[in-house]
Amino acid sequence: MTLLLSPPVDTTTTRPAAFARGATKVYGSGDTEVVALDHVDVDFAAGRFTAIMGPSGSGKSTLMHCMAGLDRLTDGTAMVGDVDITSASEKQLTLLRRDRLGFIFQAFNLVPTLSAIENITLPMDLAGVSPDRAWVDHVVETVGLAHRLHHRPNELSGGQQQRVAVARALASRPQIIFADEPTGNLDSATGQEILAFMRHAVRELGQTIVMVTHDPVAASYADSVVFLADGRITDELRSPTPDAVLDRMRHFGN
Amino acid sequence: MFRLTIKNLLANKVRFALTTFGVMLAVSFVVSAFVLGDGLRSSFTKVTEEATAGVDLEIRSVAEFGDPAPLPISIVDRVAGVDGVEDAVPIIEADDNAVRPLRADGEPLPLNGQPQMAFNWVANDELSSFSVVDGAAPGVGEFTMDVDAADTHGFEVGQTYEVIVPDGRVDLTLSGTTSFGADNTTLGAVLMHMNIADASELFGVDGVSQVVVELADGADLAATHAAVEAAIGSGYPDVDVADRATVLAESTEEFTREIDLFSNILLGFGLVSLFVSTFIIYNTFAIVLSQRTRELALLRTVGADPTQIKRSVLGEAVVVGALASVGGIGGGVLVAKGLEAMFGAMGAELPDYPLIFATRTLVVAVLIGMGVTMLAAIGPARRAATVPPITALTGGTEAGTPGSRTRKLSGFGLIAVGLVAGAIGLSGAGPTAATVAGLAGGAVAMFLGVTLLSPMVVGAVTSVLGWPMRRVAGVVGRLAQQNAARNPRRTATTAAALMIGLALVSAALVAGESVKATIGTTVERSAIADYVITDELLDADFPASLAGDIRAEELVAGAAGFTHLEAKVDGTVTDVVGFEFDQIDRLLDLSVQDGSFVTDVVHPVVVSTDEATELGLTPGDTVTTEFSNGSTVETTIVALFDDQAILAEHYLVDRSVLVDAGVTPSAEWLAVALIDDAPAAEVATLVAALGDEYPAAAVETADEFRKRIQGSIDESLATVNVMVALAVIIALIGIANTLALSVFERTRELGLVRAVGMTRRQLRRMVRFEAALVATFGAVLGVGLGIFFGWALTTALPSSFAASTAVPIGSIVTLMIVAGLAGVVAAWLPARRAGRLDVLDAISH
Repeated sequence: MTLLLSPPVDTTTTRPAAFARGATKVYGSGDTEVVALDHVDVDFAAGRFTAIMGPSGSGKSTLMHCMAGLDRLTDGTAMVGDVDITSASEKQLTLLRRDRLGFIFQAFNLVPTLSAIENITLPMDLAGVSPDRAWVDHVVETVGLAHRLHHRPNELSGGQQQRVAVARALASRPQIIFADEPTGNLDSATGQEILAFMRHAVRELGQTIVMVTHDPVAASYADSVVFLADGRITDELRSPTPDAVLDRMRHFGN
Repeated sequence: MFRLTIKNLLANKVRFALTTFGVMLAVSFVVSAFVLGDGLRSSFTKVTEEATAGVDLEIRSVAEFGDPAPLPISIVDRVAGVDGVEDAVPIIEADDNAVRPLRADGEPLPLNGQPQMAFNWVANDELSSFSVVDGAAPGVGEFTMDVDAADTHGFEVGQTYEVIVPDGRVDLTLSGTTSFGADNTTLGAVLMHMNIADASELFGVDGVSQVVVELADGADLAATHAAVEAAIGSGYPDVDVADRATVLAESTEEFTREIDLFSNILLGFGLVSLFVSTFIIYNTFAIVLSQRTRELALLRTVGADPTQIKRSVLGEAVVVGALASVGGIGGGVLVAKGLEAMFGAMGAELPDYPLIFATRTLVVAVLIGMGVTMLAAIGPARRAATVPPITALTGGTEAGTPGSRTRKLSGFGLIAVGLVAGAIGLSGAGPTAATVAGLAGGAVAMFLGVTLLSPMVVGAVTSVLGWPMRRVAGVVGRLAQQNAARNPRRTATTAAALMIGLALVSAALVAGESVKATIGTTVERSAIADYVITDELLDADFPASLAGDIRAEELVAGAAGFTHLEAKVDGTVTDVVGFEFDQIDRLLDLSVQDGSFVTDVVHPVVVSTDEATELGLTPGDTVTTEFSNGSTVETTIVALFDDQAILAEHYLVDRSVLVDAGVTPSAEWLAVALIDDAPAAEVATLVAALGDEYPAAAVETADEFRKRIQGSIDESLATVNVMVALAVIIALIGIANTLALSVFERTRELGLVRAVGMTRRQLRRMVRFEAALVATFGAVLGVGLGIFFGWALTTALPSSFAASTAVPIGSIVTLMIVAGLAGVVAAWLPARRAGRLDVLDAISH
């Protein structure tokens, strides 16, 4: 398998924003043992939009959770920037998430009691630092939320809520944004709008995004796609198109 | 469906355990009131029976008013000579605590709430319930003490001890120890006996208090009774002959009244706790059921009908109620022991009592435990039963509306009803039961009304109260405040439980502070005297001659003794106070009108302006004053007085009136004025000498006296607060419960904030802040209501008790801060649990 995976060519001169070496995650033990990640080596290039794809149970969500400091590897190393998250304490992980990472979940991205703008600045408020106003305004402007800022999540449509989530992820200029099926709960038009915006953030704002998805159309918005099956990386595709992704999935997937 | 009931209880073990505990505490308090009451009643019954065993007839003095005069000793011989009388023995009795033995180290026995009593020794075993344990019966110059008191205080047979008696001190030798009945059931009192030849003189009493009679074998009770009455003759209208059954019935009635009062007060606090627990039971059921909405809807979809759902929920309530009742019965004993220890620590030891579980106690415990739980669960159960099946697919909605029209109307309606009932109660018109019902019903209606309306102000109030938190903790504080406000009804019900306790505490604080302030201004305004001499117990008397002795001192400018008693003035029984009129101008300023205390009128009386106006009396009029010993004195009004704050009686008479009437010559308290520029050292010597002579006397400056009385009010307040503390604890359990449920409900949200970078510490802080806000919200409502109650109460009190309403700002603020902190403590477990949530599990919850 590994021969299919050429070591990621460094298309930029910088180090990867995050990488894993020998990443292994095992759930349970004995008869009930399940290997979710099996010695995975992967690099996530800085300033790139990477999609992780694979069928259910392939380990794609586990990989993302472990890279994002939400879950811990059983074995191997995961680094975000210069932080070794496999040895970081719970407190260090929390601060890492707050200060250096951004998150977009499939649903339930927002705190219902906070307004849109309060949700956007939440990580910075938790850190007790004042947000970069000009940048936040720019993000808000770009996401097209300027007139809905003081609305509560339950007064926003699903697409608007997801745009607030994207804005929150961008607002603190994290080293890397992790997105877990960000369009899974949206209709396709709204979903594509969000994806286009994420691509825009990478191309124009230099943001690094790692996205887990099972939707070939969503994956086609990424710069490259990493395919996972049975806890191993099976392939990688650059400049994907939906058809190419589908083709690869048929080939290597189920 | 029954299996489902049990499974649900098991699934929510902790929160139902807490709820059960809350109900259990309340049931415990109610049970303890019964256990203490029944136990004390049984003790007193036993003592009364012991005391009268072998006595067939008792001859005693009864008075229409005032203290009964003692019987003349000559009556004993008249009775002894009657046919059918085997023996007639006089009982000579000292006033309680008038005779106080000093221990070997020279200290008097402590006054612990039970009296020190002294009698003459009765040699006839049939007529006495006392037997000698060790040594011998008292001869002349000797005394005995009950064996338990002697053991406790280290008195040894054969030793000589100094004994304080009304007229000074004497040395008496302890001839023996005695037992009252078989087990010396003294209930904690110290019982002493002197020889009959010594008793009258030592006790400073004239005559005998009773004569007890033993009938000859075969004598007819009714016939002998009649013969004894005949022998006493009509010369003694106040003398009454009673058989044993009558005596027993009378004393039973007397102590039952006091014990009932005591146990009813405990019962009242128990009911307060019970009332508070209904709020937390209601809340727990309401929240758990709203979290289970989907599951209930699913049950409906698969065919459960609404009745089955309702039954299942009420089934849970039955189990909770039953457990609480059983636990409460056991807990009642612990609470009773705790209360006993508390009273003991405050110097009011309860007598020994047996543990009695009357059927009534058990039935009431089960009824209230189950009843209250069912009652509180019925609303949530009904709502659960009406969940439409479609909710299984759409998911439940969070009920967040502050108030419907019905809710507002009922809220305002209840407050109006509460105000009317409270006003009726406070007016004091009608029987005591009506007063109590009016006050209690009024308070309950107001509490319910405020609870119904308070959701409307949750947002605004928590926003104000949350300001410091937002300042200190930024977004964490803001989140805490919005969490507190997001479900106004839940927050309101949780806070209401705390509100009730705090309203009672602050009402008591306001009333106490008002009374204290009134005492302060009264003493400042009216007391000119430098020193006040009172008895430690405020019930023993000083000899009438003491005021004269003190006046003889060079340092003293004036002194008077004050005797409070009942008398019949112009045919109406009223309270009268007698003192030396010629001294009063140097001691008290009573705002005298139309005359003066100092005149040459024989037998002068000064009447309050209120009474004079009501009866149309003016100075110069004569009123007839009849005393309890039957003597009558014509008194002439020499002046009127306005200020009844220190002397609340309407009639003030000169001591000469009492002396000439031949009634109680002793004084309950004295006031002393010093000459100008009295040297401090000599004053100190004089005060010390007085203290030596009267160990029970408190010789205090007017200011010290005021502080002591105000201090005793603080002590009473402390007692009330301890009792209310139980209700507050139950309310805090309610806060812990609600928060635990809210944390569970918001698991996903907590996971989200943790994922985007909230630290565990910040999360715990957020939960604790929310608790503090809910608690402070309850405190604000409670204190507000409490101040209102306090105001109503002080307005209803006579102005001599509370002239105006005073709010102890410091105590009230402290109370609110303590409530907030207590909320934080209550949030400890839920906060810890929230902090431990696994982020990934929580997000995918």
